[in-house]
Amino acid sequence: MRLRLIASTPDIEALIAAAILTTTGRRPSEAYEALKREPRRAGRIVERLEFHHGSVFEHNRLCWLLEADEKAILELLLRNRFFHVSRIGEGRWLLSANLRTVIEYVRRHRDPMAEHLLESIREVAPTVYRRLRGESK
Amino acid sequence: MRVKLLAYIPSKDLLNEVGEIPDAELLSHLAYIFAVEGISRVCSHQLVRHRVASYSQQSQRYVEVERLKEYVVIPKTIEGRRREIFDALIEEASKAYRQLIKLGVPREDARFVLPNATETHLMVTMDGRSLLHFFGLRCCLRAQWEIREVADEMLREVRRVEPQLFRRAGPYCYQLGYCPEGRFTCGRMEKVKRRYSSLGYGADGVE
Repeated sequence: MRLRLIASTPDIEALIAAAILTTTGRRPSEAYEALKREPRRAGRIVERLEFHHGSVFEHNRLCWLLEADEKAILELLLRNRFFHVSRIGEGRWLLSANLRTVIEYVRRHRDPMAEHLLESIREVAPTVYRRLRGESK
Repeated sequence: MRVKLLAYIPSKDLLNEVGEIPDAELLSHLAYIFAVEGISRVCSHQLVRHRVASYSQQSQRYVEVERLKEYVVIPKTIEGRRREIFDALIEEASKAYRQLIKLGVPREDARFVLPNATETHLMVTMDGRSLLHFFGLRCCLRAQWEIREVADEMLREVRRVEPQLFRRAGPYCYQLGYCPEGRFTCGRMEKVKRRYSSLGYGADGVE
């Protein structure tokens, strides 16, 4: 199995932090514009968030190119129905999901897919990556 | 009311990697994140009925409503008639809310007296396929005016960044070429189709 992140929503952690601040009274557009310019501040907000308050992790999309057989795809979809899959060739799939789906998969499963998914978010969601990596040790 | 597209994945980023893929399939892998601000709770109640989406909404448990009179949405049909009836209710609701808060009633309970006209802000995320369905229902002339305005603004925003991908987006009569509303049809399909063939592409067409 090979998994490669090919596209994702920009500024994912700024969006998560803006979603949190929206619930506590900020206008989402203002919060997002400010946090985009201050990724460290966005990271600090995301750092404090409980993973089980999952809905704010849904304001994004991650797309991967996955090379796997049909059995592996079926297994993945049975484990989490929020992955979306399109066949783009023999043994090649376009896979997408939001960060909440990734977090839930990584926290529930100890398998190569979980490891691939976790490693794929290292750059795009560094705070979430560090926290999940810390949990998996 | 203000709608702004905050972030999205450009379709070309995916197409460059995977090559040809039908639009309908492509759209379900793309997500669009919007700020929707200054809408009424009437409107947000309708919005969140679209379940294949994600929402983060300003909380009335954690955020105290101040100066209610300045933060309400007033329908034109009320504005043009007996506005004082509406204003009197808002004044009373505001007074009752402040009194309850002063008495130590928690915000989560004091808010029970707040009207549906109260403004709210949300962050909304939908994938492209859900957006098409949302536009199909909510750009329709049968939709309530406020959510139709929100849907139109969202459509303008996505057409600004993905003009080709959303060219066929709009109310279902525009998407399908016929009106699926049966006996409830507005009967103005040609006018509606003209409007959505140009909405967001410069000249906005017939309102």
